[in-house]
Amino acid sequence: MILYLPILLLILLSALGAVWLAKPVHAALCMALSLALTAVLYLALGAHFIGLVQFMVYVGAVAVLIVFALLMTRRGEESSEISARPRSWALGLACAFPAAAMLVTAAIQGAALPKSPPSEPQVSLSDLGRLLFTDYAPAVLVVALVLTAVLIGAALFAREPQKDTLR
Amino acid sequence: MPLPSISFFLIASSILFGLGLIAVLSRRNAILILVGIELMLNAANLNFIAFWKYADPTTLPAAEISLTGPMMVVFSIALAAAEAAVGLAIILLAFRHTRSTDLNRLDSLHG
Repeated sequence: MILYLPILLLILLSALGAVWLAKPVHAALCMALSLALTAVLYLALGAHFIGLVQFMVYVGAVAVLIVFALLMTRRGEESSEISARPRSWALGLACAFPAAAMLVTAAIQGAALPKSPPSEPQVSLSDLGRLLFTDYAPAVLVVALVLTAVLIGAALFAREPQKDTLR
Repeated sequence: MPLPSISFFLIASSILFGLGLIAVLSRRNAILILVGIELMLNAANLNFIAFWKYADPTTLPAAEISLTGPMMVVFSIALAAAEAAVGLAIILLAFRHTRSTDLNRLDSLHG
């Protein structure tokens, strides 16, 4: 209780920064902070493997990738973003508020929701690894295919077109 | 350490989802829309972990290990990373055409 609520609050605050800040790099760094704090929350909740994966993949790879892309496309466009802000924020709030309000209502009114967790879930990394390569093996294979396709596709998209080879 | 009620996690993840939705709907910069999508995916993952933590393992069959939540999150993170890579590659491709990541300038199909 003492630990979890401040972490949740900080996650939401840094997410608000990612949504609100006009400078793209600041917004991306706020998102990285939010994702890192979520990883800390996973570690505190006992999902150690997920917390570490979240650190490595989200904070270490996705956030860095986004910052790189921002640096490669830097044009100083935050002025147009700010001038268009009241209208676009009103539209965004009008669409997002009902969705979030519905979810919050469901979370508050869910009578069957547990108030406290059961005894510590007995989960070891070896259980997770064994399940991953037995019951979940087809899903792992599909994800491997998807990642291969993504690797090839991203390299193909992002490469500079060479005029002598592209005909 | 005593945990708060699961509602706290669910409410926080709902608000996180709403913030991501606002970013997707109101940002002009395509990369920052991707940031919003990551926030929404993160909210869904948070829900998975919260429900996994609070689920009662005694309702499961005897030999079953309750790891469905973390498994879903593992695959969700892998696919989110893939989505970010392809999304950024497409944005860089569009940037090469328009010299901008402003989505309002990608209007060459506009009549």
